[in-house]
Amino acid sequence: MLSTNRFERRRQVAGVCVVLGLVIEALCLLWATPIAFVVFVAIGGSLMFVGIVLYLFSLVNTVVSPE
Amino acid sequence: MLHATTLIVSLIVFSAAVIAVLVARPAITATRGGKILAFVAMFCLPIFCGLLGFSREMGRAKTTGFCLSCHTMEAYGKSLLVDDPTHIPASHFQNHRVPSDEACYSCHTQYAMFGGLRVKLWGLKHVAIYYFGTPPAPENIKLYEPYNNRECLHCHLGARSFEEGAVHNADPGTLPAIKSNQLSCISSGCHEITHDLAHLKDAKFWKEAK
Repeated sequence: MLSTNRFERRRQVAGVCVVLGLVIEALCLLWATPIAFVVFVAIGGSLMFVGIVLYLFSLVNTVVSPE
Repeated sequence: MLHATTLIVSLIVFSAAVIAVLVARPAITATRGGKILAFVAMFCLPIFCGLLGFSREMGRAKTTGFCLSCHTMEAYGKSLLVDDPTHIPASHFQNHRVPSDEACYSCHTQYAMFGGLRVKLWGLKHVAIYYFGTPPAPENIKLYEPYNNRECLHCHLGARSFEEGAVHNADPGTLPAIKSNQLSCISSGCHEITHDLAHLKDAKFWKEAK
C-alpha cells in the first residue's frame, strides 16, 4: 500500500524499482544464456538506475521543501 | 564459479528483502537510524550488487561456451577442432596458446582501454540481431573492424619465435611493419587461414581427449 505522504510515496516507488531490478539481476545470474546478459544490462540495470535516481531525487526534494 | 554466483544472489536477495521492508513500512525512515539504513539499502547495496553481478556476467560472457551457445557460432566452434596446424584458431585452441575456456574472447577482444567493454557492447548488438533481426549466414559474418595485430602482439610480442622468426626477419622492414599494424598478421601468404568455414565440411577434425 502506497503512503499518502508524497515523499514517502516517492521512496516507495523507488524501492519497488530497485527491488524489481535486483530480482531481475538475480534471475539473470542464475540463467546463464546470452539473452540473460542483455536482460541483466538493459532491464535490470535500467530499473536499478531509475530506482536509485528517484530515491536520491526524493532525498534532495525532502531537504528543499520539507512537509 | 557457482559458489560466487550463489554469494552474489544471496546478497541481492538480502538487499531486496531490506528494501521490501522499507517499502512496506516507510515510517522506519523517520528516525536517524532508519534514514541511514534506507541510504545503505537503497543506494549502497544496489550499486554494490549491480557491480558484482555485472562483473560476474562479464566473466561468464567471456567463456567459449557462452559465445558458442548461439547457433550462428556453431561452425566457428567446430573450426576450433580442425586438425591442421596452419589453421590459426584451431592451433591456438588445441595447443592452449589461448585459454580453452575463453578461446573466442582471447583473440576477439581488444587489448586497449575499455576494449573488453567495447567488444561486449558489440556482443549485445549480435544478440539483438539474433533475436530481433535476421542473422547473416555464418560464412557471411564479418568483423566490425579489420583484425588488429595488437591482439596477436598482446601475447607474441617479445616471444623468441616471433622476434627471431626467419620469415619475420627476412626483410628488415617486416617486423616494424607488423608491430605498427601496417602489415597484418593474417594477410595473404602469412597466417592467413583463420576460421575458413568454406572448407569446413572437407576438414579432418581433432578429437579432444576428455
